[in-house]
Amino acid sequence: MLRVAIVGCGKIADSHALQIQRIEGCEIVAVCDREPLMAKQLYERFPVKQYFTDLAELLDRARPDVVHITTPAESHFDIAKFCLEHDCHVYVEKPFTLYAEQAERLVDLAERKRVKLTVGHNDQFSHVARRMRALVQSGYLGGAPVHMESYYTYDLGDPSYARALLGDENHWVRRLPGKLLQNVISHGIARIAEFIPSDSPQVIAHGFVSSLLKQIDEREIVDELRVIISEEQGTTAYFTFSSQMKPPMHLLRLYGPKNGLILDQDHEILLRLRGQKFKSYADMFIPPALFAKQHLGNLFTNVRLFLGRDFHMDSGMKYLIESFYRSIRDDSPVPIPYREILLTARIMDAIFSQMSSDRSHERFAALPQPVPSE
Amino acid sequence: MSKSTTSIASKEDGLLQQDRSIVGPDDRILVTGAAGFIGSRVLQNLLDRGLRNVVCFVRPSSELSEIEAIIERRPPDARIEVRKGNLLSREDCEAAAKDAAVIYHLAAGTGEKSFPDAFLNSVVATRNLIEASLRFGNLRRFVLVSSFAVYSNRDKPNGRILDESCPIEEHPELRGEAYCFAKVRQEQLVSEYGKNSGVPFVLVRPGSVYGKKGDITGRVGIAAFGPFLHLGGSNKIPFTHVDNCADAIVLAGLVKGIDGEAFNVVDDNLPSSRQFLRLYKKNARKFRSIYVPHAISYALCYLWEKYSKWSQGQLPPVFNRRRWHTEWKKTRYSNKKLKAKLGWTPKVSTSEGMRRYIETCKPDGRYA
Repeated sequence: MLRVAIVGCGKIADSHALQIQRIEGCEIVAVCDREPLMAKQLYERFPVKQYFTDLAELLDRARPDVVHITTPAESHFDIAKFCLEHDCHVYVEKPFTLYAEQAERLVDLAERKRVKLTVGHNDQFSHVARRMRALVQSGYLGGAPVHMESYYTYDLGDPSYARALLGDENHWVRRLPGKLLQNVISHGIARIAEFIPSDSPQVIAHGFVSSLLKQIDEREIVDELRVIISEEQGTTAYFTFSSQMKPPMHLLRLYGPKNGLILDQDHEILLRLRGQKFKSYADMFIPPALFAKQHLGNLFTNVRLFLGRDFHMDSGMKYLIESFYRSIRDDSPVPIPYREILLTARIMDAIFSQMSSDRSHERFAALPQPVPSE
Repeated sequence: MSKSTTSIASKEDGLLQQDRSIVGPDDRILVTGAAGFIGSRVLQNLLDRGLRNVVCFVRPSSELSEIEAIIERRPPDARIEVRKGNLLSREDCEAAAKDAAVIYHLAAGTGEKSFPDAFLNSVVATRNLIEASLRFGNLRRFVLVSSFAVYSNRDKPNGRILDESCPIEEHPELRGEAYCFAKVRQEQLVSEYGKNSGVPFVLVRPGSVYGKKGDITGRVGIAAFGPFLHLGGSNKIPFTHVDNCADAIVLAGLVKGIDGEAFNVVDDNLPSSRQFLRLYKKNARKFRSIYVPHAISYALCYLWEKYSKWSQGQLPPVFNRRRWHTEWKKTRYSNKKLKAKLGWTPKVSTSEGMRRYIETCKPDGRYA
């Protein structure tokens, strides 16, 4: 039985506890939060054996094999380091760390201690993302991706988070180097990092404060971001983050030399984009029919998964946790390669470095910036 | 009223004489959530009763137009301090609670759907506020504004009265409502401080507070699945007009000899769910509603609950039998205790309150 602990008992800890209790062969032996009331409420609502307010005490008394870190991002590095030093396997919620250098140190420490490490990029393991990965691995694109487009939107109108953030000048998100972007964009960047062959792509970032935020006198939170990523072997990517675009979307377009793919996370839709054209007018009649067939196929797949009790909102998180635990038990490769974690962190560093505090937060553009490789 | 007695009186009626009140006109009163729907009415009510030293605690992001309007027309000798802050900050709590004789704690959790968010902003915030007030030793009453959501209402036949003697939800974590969980734990916390630290407290549990445009209370029905499902039927809806509710809350902070008590707040002559919906659709906005009889809504809640468990949460357990008992079971309500111990009477009649409410709901097309 794998002994699991959760450190940080806020909102995302609930999702972890919910998914962990669905996985066989593990138990939550302890939860921890500096605020005793928060630790206790999680302990009360889930089958958890003990709660603590001190991490050292938890590690000493509960002896977990795995620690899930679900605290605010600024504490990820120190807590993960402490747990790794105590020979625990560690699952860190996104964003992995504040800086790429911290990510490198954690990966290095995990390898030296021969323990496993992963990050909460659970969108990478949704049903539709797994289907897409399988197609790419089967060679559907006809080679390495030529170009990618990753869209990630965020609704600032969400009362549970954004209002608290905008209204509170001391909110922890404001203290992050990349502020709101740092806490949100890693899912969208990780999608690109998975398919970028180079460890040192060039990054050009352009961000600005949306007109909506300007209207309410917000000058610090950059909520619109456009990024171009390119690398020597010719693969390029666009990343778009927006709080204003409608409809809301979490989408990846992947174009290879032969075919393309569209992954629509919100609707769990995967579409194959056929590279070859049909002749003459057939190209205007047959593709719509083929798209209709694909949409129907997605519908049937989603219904089948729902009826089979395998279509939970956090199904990607369950799959990631399950895969991570399996890699611990079998000493097999981790579900998210360390290279991908590090590349995501480096691309984010490169984006945020182009938003340095000595420039206007309202609008900036930057020169191409190579991501330093290891 | 004898000439020698100072009174803390509401303008309309309900004189509250000094010998019945635990505070004088210059004692410091703190109202958290003062910028909210009920909070601003509480502020106005306090001023109407002659209280002259009020601190309004508001979030930095709060819309202050209502408070500012009240400040604009305040009596010349009244001091109103608006203090912006976060109840999760102990420093902010200390600054707000300093020398407060009465604390009206109305600020509520904002993360209705998230258990940790609701808990943090309700329970942890309340703990911070009480701890801060204990440092000054000046507190004479802590009024916690809670909710009907804390009652379980199970193990009672249909149509029985729900009053302050009814049991509180034993397992609020199973109700599927973050708000209920947070409110039950918040009440427990305050009671523990009362027992262990001698904090003099009163719990106020309003029913469905109405008076401004907003969603129709879930006790009438829900629109989550497209057409409006009318679930209340002939049930009485425990409405209380915001002015009546504010009046009850203010009295709970002033009247002597009620420490440790809980008070339900509902108005007189409550309409049934069907009567309310008919009135609303006739005068505010027409929309299609489908009546779901109680037996069917109970069965649906039961099935949802079972499916949620069987599917390991593929559908969250937001509909379940516990919730049905609380919101849609036929129940009667009482305000006897409120009238007897606080001398409260609803100043806004239900017919007048509904008329005003319907007026606010008219302009645009949303279920108000």
